[in-house]
Amino acid sequence: MDPEEDWLVESLRLYQDFYAFDLSGATRVLEWIDDKGVFVAGYESLKKNEILHLKLPLRLSVKENKGLFPERDFKVRHGGFSDRSIFDLKHVPHTRLLVTSGLPGCYLQVWQVAEDSDVIKAVSTIGVHEKEESLWPRVAVFTSMAPRVLHGARLRSLQVIDLESRKTTYTSDVSDSEELSSLQVLDADTFAFCCASGRLGLVDTRQKWAPLENRSPGPGSGGERWCAEVGSRGQGPGPSIASLGSDGHLCLLDPRDLCHPVSSVQCPVSIPSPDPELLRVTWAPSLKNCLAISGFDGTVQVYDATSWNGTQSQVEPLFTHRGHVFLDGSGTDPAPLVTTHTWHPCRPRTLLSATNDASLHVWDWVDLCAPC
Amino acid sequence: MPEIRVTPLGAGQDVGRSCILVSIAGKNVMLDCGMHMGFNDDRRFPDFSYITQNGRLTDFLDCVIISHFHLDHCGALPYFSEMVGYDGPIYMTHPTQAICPILLEDYRKIAVDKKGEANFFTSQMIKDCMKKVVAVHLHQTVQVDDELEIKAYYAGHVLGAAMFQIKVGSESVVYTGDYNMTPDRHLGAAWIDKCRPNLLITESTYATTIRDSKRCRERDFLKKVHETVERGGKVLIPVFALGRAQELCILLETFWERMNLKVPIYFSTGLTEKANHYYKLFIPWTNQKIRKTFVQRNMFEFKHIKAFDRAFADNPGPMVVFATPGMLHAGQSLQIFRKWAGNEKNMVIMPGYCVQGTVGHKILSGQRKLEMEGRQVVSPDPVLGWQGRGAPPGGNRCPHPVASAAGGQDAGGVHVIQRTRGRQGHHAAGGPGRAGERAAGAWRGQEDGVPEAEDRAGAPGQLLHAGQWRDGDAAHEPQHPRRHLTGTAEAGNGAGAAPRGQEASAPARHPDHEGQRECRDSLWRGETKDGNFRLVSSEQALKELGLAEHQLRFTCRVHLHDTRKEQEMALRVYSHLKSVLKDHCVQHLPDGSVTVESILIQAAAPSEDPGTKVLLVSWTYQDEELGSFLTSLLKKGLPQAPS
Repeated sequence: MDPEEDWLVESLRLYQDFYAFDLSGATRVLEWIDDKGVFVAGYESLKKNEILHLKLPLRLSVKENKGLFPERDFKVRHGGFSDRSIFDLKHVPHTRLLVTSGLPGCYLQVWQVAEDSDVIKAVSTIGVHEKEESLWPRVAVFTSMAPRVLHGARLRSLQVIDLESRKTTYTSDVSDSEELSSLQVLDADTFAFCCASGRLGLVDTRQKWAPLENRSPGPGSGGERWCAEVGSRGQGPGPSIASLGSDGHLCLLDPRDLCHPVSSVQCPVSIPSPDPELLRVTWAPSLKNCLAISGFDGTVQVYDATSWNGTQSQVEPLFTHRGHVFLDGSGTDPAPLVTTHTWHPCRPRTLLSATNDASLHVWDWVDLCAPC
Repeated sequence: MPEIRVTPLGAGQDVGRSCILVSIAGKNVMLDCGMHMGFNDDRRFPDFSYITQNGRLTDFLDCVIISHFHLDHCGALPYFSEMVGYDGPIYMTHPTQAICPILLEDYRKIAVDKKGEANFFTSQMIKDCMKKVVAVHLHQTVQVDDELEIKAYYAGHVLGAAMFQIKVGSESVVYTGDYNMTPDRHLGAAWIDKCRPNLLITESTYATTIRDSKRCRERDFLKKVHETVERGGKVLIPVFALGRAQELCILLETFWERMNLKVPIYFSTGLTEKANHYYKLFIPWTNQKIRKTFVQRNMFEFKHIKAFDRAFADNPGPMVVFATPGMLHAGQSLQIFRKWAGNEKNMVIMPGYCVQGTVGHKILSGQRKLEMEGRQVVSPDPVLGWQGRGAPPGGNRCPHPVASAAGGQDAGGVHVIQRTRGRQGHHAAGGPGRAGERAAGAWRGQEDGVPEAEDRAGAPGQLLHAGQWRDGDAAHEPQHPRRHLTGTAEAGNGAGAAPRGQEASAPARHPDHEGQRECRDSLWRGETKDGNFRLVSSEQALKELGLAEHQLRFTCRVHLHDTRKEQEMALRVYSHLKSVLKDHCVQHLPDGSVTVESILIQAAAPSEDPGTKVLLVSWTYQDEELGSFLTSLLKKGLPQAPS
């Protein structure tokens, strides 16, 4: 029996809808631009990489008469070339600008998505404080009248730069050399950071550097590498920060008390993650208490954290997406590794996931536990 | 460096009426001659007046090449050759040659009978056009003339689709037509020799599209069908006779088998006979999986799919029906649609393109109420438009030139052993060299059963050549003693030595193309280890067995009493043959020789006797029937009066 066929037949029951694409190059980036397009970018080190603006298949956008839209394909709207590998890409909202970061990590690249053509052009660079060759700065963008870019590879090199004037509007002003793993803008004035060690912090840029943070490293650390994501306010009360470790630990924290996680669970994943830099944890924008994690293997796991309390040894995912393993990975050696994933901003159970073998899936999973 | 000029007459920045003129080192080639399905007026055909302002197209163009049978690549061919005027050669693969006229006729019927179009080509024009076709095999170098040569490569996409390399001296152009880089359920992936053409003309329909994988589209299709039948509804799938239908049938059959479903699936009878016939005929053009399973179970004979009867449409309960025509504009599919459209549990799935004005097109545009014969009909909901046109997923990839995997072909002995259905007809063509003798000898030692050939790997394998597939019974097989060549046959260009027994056994009847088809590209090979047979290409079987393939060509001299000059004689031969062999491609080449398919006839005058002329007739082993027929025909002499 053909495992690929078996899985596809099984998928009829597991997914409302499922799309599988082959990109010309693997991506570690999936950045939304409105809810109809995404950016992907290559990360190969010795050749030119493509940045592509992909328009979602019509079927994912229309609400009525879906059956009449046979198009299940992404359309390339814009494209550009980068000499460097791209590990992070952020769109500057309300503009046609993009900011990317990669190796070598001495600067950020600013791009412009053309209006009258299909070109994504490099327009300028943003220098970074520390000229680190092997670390690349994380990037986040403040949306406001004047967009600002937050970036840094280490705590001590955190900066906020006004994109137009290129003036530095905020610095961390500390000598801490801890490596950063994620940066996230929360609103016009605050942002969150997570260090590779598990150290978390919330920073208000209206004050001098005085973050709310957990000084103590996350549970079970000692070589474990961490990343984190803060859920949107619309989550409701309860823990809104999720922190994921390369040994499969997932902690939920309340921003009011970062030192004591509300819950801490062990996810059933193959550990340690083969590439902890690829770890990713995301909150579902439209489902309460739902999280997705990836970066351990070729799967993406969705969890419902509603009933989590205290320290639980094992939890079971609500859903596991195995498409990358069966469809693209069957027979190939080594097995694929998910590089990134993201939730669709509007469709509650739709996710996009990408792997290191250039596949890109869009999947709408069925909640088998939900009452029909 | 000589100039290469490209003039797209269609499909330059559009999908439809593919027609590209390439001028390479003074040679002019037309690539494809398609129809634009989106227009009803003159815009549906390429504007041929661009080709040349003065002179005949036949003189200007060296040849026309058709890549595959889709109408947007061949739909304008009869118009071009018969109404605009072109008498030169038209090259295409065998399956394309077989299937093109069917699609052209179907389309003609819709245009003229259904839509009342004037100024359209007639059925006779389609037939006349096809007479100009010279069919080519994959990887066969075809000399169009002294300088221009072409070669076809497998393109996937649809049955018989090919990519072409056009070479003039050291300049070359590769034209892809439409192709797939990944295999699908019944066809393989495009493949080409490692080459460095000066120019590559490739389709780019999906260049800025990243296509959803075929698997997912199939999954979507299965899901819709399954959901509909699960809730008791009926599914109507209007299809063209050839193309998507076969793929979908295999898909459904596999799914039904796996899920152990009992809901009936029907195929309207027109489809079964016509289309599956061609797929069976051209099995070597299908992909490995189908070839592998073909011996155990013919993939085009379905367990769960039965022939449809009109009465079944009224049966209660769920069912799936494939019916023609594909655009729901007439016939059975429209009849069924009328019956089922009003019930919201039912579904219609449109897998193909629908021309404007047809019911299919209206449904796909979202029209819910349709007027048909004065009655209003509500279309079923939902309607699934399924874009299944095979194109590479991951659109911006070009075929990677791959180093030629096939072993070299050198002149020398022959090993091929023919086997046809039925016990008799073990035709063996051996050749000089031990391989030939071994093969021939082994054959001679067996009455029935299959001769054995030794496998270099050690395990004995059985070698069969599906050289001539007969649809009829063994009685039709001509017995040609001359075919039993052993080590005495001359290899190479067969200068002089006429095959033994040729005169006595030449068939009197006109070789009948209906009864047989050639399947040159495949060899059956059995592995006695697991008792399984599999179908492999000739090249692969040769490689595995460590044998070399050789070409056999026969030559015969026909002495005729004739006082005319050679050139005049050649012309007389040409007219005579053209009138007798109405179904074959007879050509009179500029150098005075006459060709009939691959057979070459040249007139020569031996210096000793001016009253005698010699016709040199030369043919390949594959065309021996026609060759021997021609020879005996010519021996009877040429008609006195001008034909």
